[in-house]
Amino acid sequence: MIEVRSLRKQFGDVVALQDLSFTAEDGQITGLLGPNGAGKTTCLRMLFGLLKPDNGTALVDGIDASADALTTRARIGIFPDKFGSYERLTVTEQVEFFASLQGLAGSEKKQAVTQVIGDLQMNDIADRKSSGFSQGQRMKIALAQALVHRPPNLIMDEPTRGLDVMSTRMLRRHLAELREAGHCILFSSHVMQEVAALCDRIVIVAEGRLAAAGTTEELCALAGETQLEDAFVKLIGTDEGVAA
Amino acid sequence: MNQFRALLIKELKEAIRDRRAFMAAMIMAMLAPVLIYVSSVFAIEEAVEKPDVYIHIRGAESAPDLVEQLAQENIFSATGASDDDLRKWSDRRIELLIPVNYAADMRGGSSVDLVLRADMSDTSLSSPLRRIRNAINDYSRGLGVKRVLLRGIDINLLRPIAVEEQDLSSPNSSAAFINTMLLFYLLFGAFITGLSVAVDTSAGERERNVLEFLLCQPVPTYQVVAAKLLTASCVAVIGVVLTLALTSIAVGFIDLGKVGATFSLSAVTVVLLLLLLIPLCLFASSVHLLLAFQAKTFKEAQSIVSMVIVVPAFIPFALMLMENKPTYLQWLPISGQYLLMEDLLKGLSIEPLSVIAVTLTTVAATFGLFAILARRLQSEKTVLALS
Repeated sequence: MIEVRSLRKQFGDVVALQDLSFTAEDGQITGLLGPNGAGKTTCLRMLFGLLKPDNGTALVDGIDASADALTTRARIGIFPDKFGSYERLTVTEQVEFFASLQGLAGSEKKQAVTQVIGDLQMNDIADRKSSGFSQGQRMKIALAQALVHRPPNLIMDEPTRGLDVMSTRMLRRHLAELREAGHCILFSSHVMQEVAALCDRIVIVAEGRLAAAGTTEELCALAGETQLEDAFVKLIGTDEGVAA
Repeated sequence: MNQFRALLIKELKEAIRDRRAFMAAMIMAMLAPVLIYVSSVFAIEEAVEKPDVYIHIRGAESAPDLVEQLAQENIFSATGASDDDLRKWSDRRIELLIPVNYAADMRGGSSVDLVLRADMSDTSLSSPLRRIRNAINDYSRGLGVKRVLLRGIDINLLRPIAVEEQDLSSPNSSAAFINTMLLFYLLFGAFITGLSVAVDTSAGERERNVLEFLLCQPVPTYQVVAAKLLTASCVAVIGVVLTLALTSIAVGFIDLGKVGATFSLSAVTVVLLLLLLIPLCLFASSVHLLLAFQAKTFKEAQSIVSMVIVVPAFIPFALMLMENKPTYLQWLPISGQYLLMEDLLKGLSIEPLSVIAVTLTTVAATFGLFAILARRLQSEKTVLALS
């Protein structure tokens, strides 16, 4: 479970987050929705333990990420905003590398790597170096790296950006399976349709604050709109900075 | 430990598989022995052999004996030279002016003033000019001795003081030009061979969008930095070892006997050289990493780090120009290694305490840079620069 309590972060004169609170439950996909610059990435970086909040706490399974970053990182799978890959390593070597960093070793590591490569249908590219891979193939590597240690929580920052229809469908299917398995998934995006189609609960963030939270239906009802996009615009109070 | 091993293996695989950068580093190491061989062979030829020199002699007809004496030293008048030789010497003009009264003054036993005219700042003329001066001085001295003898005077009166020079240099130090070049290449090699790997693993990783993900893993940043530092240093050490090994082989093909010099690297010397160089490789790589992580782009990192390698190239020159070197220079990184390696290559014994002192200061400096790097990777400034 991921819990954010009264997070505040200021960079110079710019207030990136102010009093942001929300919860992402186990067995649910929680969408973190907000326009560009709303503070989504800053919030996620606090959950990763990369940034320290000026105030408030970011908790992963009850552990404070700023106080014990290494423990929280072992409990989350991270699908980063910009996923690059080590192009001189084969896919298996890359996944093995991150499995080792997550503390797996020996036969346990080997089994975990084989399992995740099989689950994501990557056997055909497993022994190839990732140089020249398509965006979809790179997405699979990033997902395999995030899931190899079977983390109870998965945090994804704009995961569908640049993906084609087939890769997006494959990702959705896999996320649905993880939800069924009881994982907590926090899904940051500014793509309305994506969030509406995938998430059980949506947390709308605007100007570093919580604008609203609830299911798609609850948010539409709250804004008195029938479409999530219209509800979103109404709830954040402006359509400035909203990307399609 | 398992995590660190994974980081190190990944860094090493990436460094070795980046064939272009790795080969560029190794070629740099292999180039040193080739350059040492070629320049040594030329230097020896220049010192031992007497290639033909063509000069413009005005008034040659007045001094046939002098012209003959010069010809015996392979210094010829340009008048009789082939077109080919003239072309070669066309931009290296040396003139010897013999006055018209030369023959008369010689007969009268007077002193004659010759004029040697050339661009004295042209280094390519320094050897021919030296040979011309020596030939004329020898001829002049010979004439003087004959004149004195004819007058029945003991020629020893001409040299009231004689100096006998006894060379105390070890056989190795007589190959000074090889020592200087090798020393320069070893210092330079320590700084240049690990450079591309250091830049690739820092600024390159950030540009390929993998650094942030790596920093999100449950691994302390000091392990991440240590793996990167060890990998870049490892490539630098390979480069330095290659330079040493190939130079030893290449020098074997140089006929140093011609100049009465010898050059050999004993096992003890090699071990001591490596003892001095390995900490320097670590220090160099930590400097590269610190600067490359500061840069905003891969290209900027390459430019900044490339500028820094001027420092190890500059320090030996500065030390060569210093007559009285302060003692503390022996303890500082780069200058300390340079001074100790200079003595080692000359075959002189070095104080173990000096080796320990400079190694300790270099390791301490490296550790300081390592700690700064590990802290920087945790800093919010670094994280914010990732996007």
